[in-house]
Amino acid sequence: MSDTLVFGTPPLPAGRPAVGDPCLLLGPVQLAPGGPADPLEPAPAEDLRTHLDRLGPRPTGSPALMTALDEAHLTGQGGAHVPVTAKWRRALTGRGPLTVVANGAESEPVAAKDGTLLRQRPHLVLDGLMIAAEALGAERAVVWLHGDDHGARQALLAALRERPWVLGHPAVEILDGPVHYLAGEASAIARAVHGGPALPTVRRHPQPGAPRTLVHNVETLARVALLARGQAPTGTRVLTVLGEGRAVVEVDARTTFADVLVDLGWTEAPQAVLLGGYGGMWARWARVAHLAVDESALAAEGLTLGAGVIAPLGAWACGVHQTAGLLGYLASMSARQCGPCVFGLPSLAEGMTALAAGRSGDGVARLLADAAIVEGRGACHHPDGATRLVASAVSTFADDVAAHAAGRPCGAGDIAWPGVDS
Amino acid sequence: MSRAPAVTMRLRVDPVACEGVGLCAQVAGRVVELDRWGYPVIEAELDARGVKAAQRAVRACPRRAMWLEEADTLR
Ligand code: SF4
Ligand code: SF4
Repeated sequence: MSDTLVFGTPPLPAGRPAVGDPCLLLGPVQLAPGGPADPLEPAPAEDLRTHLDRLGPRPTGSPALMTALDEAHLTGQGGAHVPVTAKWRRALTGRGPLTVVANGAESEPVAAKDGTLLRQRPHLVLDGLMIAAEALGAERAVVWLHGDDHGARQALLAALRERPWVLGHPAVEILDGPVHYLAGEASAIARAVHGGPALPTVRRHPQPGAPRTLVHNVETLARVALLARGQAPTGTRVLTVLGEGRAVVEVDARTTFADVLVDLGWTEAPQAVLLGGYGGMWARWARVAHLAVDESALAAEGLTLGAGVIAPLGAWACGVHQTAGLLGYLASMSARQCGPCVFGLPSLAEGMTALAAGRSGDGVARLLADAAIVEGRGACHHPDGATRLVASAVSTFADDVAAHAAGRPCGAGDIAWPGVDS
Repeated sequence: MSRAPAVTMRLRVDPVACEGVGLCAQVAGRVVELDRWGYPVIEAELDARGVKAAQRAVRACPRRAMWLEEADTLR
């Protein structure tokens, strides 16, 4: 099917549920291309009264809830899509004091769905956090935010002021992490909530009585709060779409990529899309246009949307240049702790830049070899995002890569994406 | 030739602690190679002699960056 055909179809209504019956978001928002999820126009936010009128009182959390979570196939919405109950079962086997964390520090630079959810429905997220804390017998319940996300912080503080304090429950703590996007990495959070630096670490032999930390993405917890009330799974997906600005939308998970873009006013088919964000993967538009944004449907195609970021690349831009810029950004964002990441990522960025400039010779083989060497060797998955980007760029932009490698750079530019040097 | 150990062991390196000094590869070249930046790349499967070599690497590392663990340990 041709790319143009995709946009010959009339715009379909986005798969949004009827007004008055929101699933997760109260409504779509438009944001600046980078920075915290502050909407450009005033957006609705839910106070405690509205929240309770809509959903009724919060049920108490218990391990029995795991049956419902399993039936709903609820997976982590921070990007890794690990089944929620796998994490719960692991947490229940430990003995040390447990901290449950609602992670609102998105670990993709342009992702804004979690910041949006916290602004619109803080009570739903807090419900999920308390339900998980109760179910697992946690001693502490923490919301972890990027240090510069004042909007989310204010929404949460206002929500906490409305909520009655309940005897015997952990009081919710709001902790500000660094602005740096790796601050949302689970092992970094686990250290920080116990007074350490917010830097990723490798877990050695866990001590039996050592403090435990369970980190859940805030959208995951909001979904827990709905399932705990006996609701059916929403069947929706919350997306951040990067264009001239960013749009955060909730769509029926069966919506195709083409319909998502048409609904957002795109009139030209892109050549490719970056799925999942800067540490994500490229896919040709023709491959994904008619696929649903549903994660399990994508997994069947060997794809993932991670934390739900879609970044289309216009037909006029150069995927090789764009990837070189992204790799430079990822290299600059390394927490500079691990040799393979500190040296490997700049090497990948240089290799892709040389290729983009048409002066790399046999550089493609070396680039792929370097990516294979770096893969899996950091304390966190940051380098793995870069290696996946390299591998997917080489296959997605195969023709362009071959032309550049043959010393015929294209002269096409790249798109200005937040934080990425052109 | 070598008997399979009862539990499969895995050599791990903490990339945060590792400073790329490279002693591990010197004493246990059988299971550790250095990448082109001087950081250890570890053989995935250890046979009995591999475990011996891995133990040497663990002892030799001046940064105490290496350890042996059962291969099915949750990461
Ligand atoms: S892998 Fe990279 S980003 Fe992750 S902890 Fe190591 S140096 Fe930092
Ligand atoms: S000896 Fe230790 S510090 Fe040196 S390279 Fe090996 S693991 Fe790293």
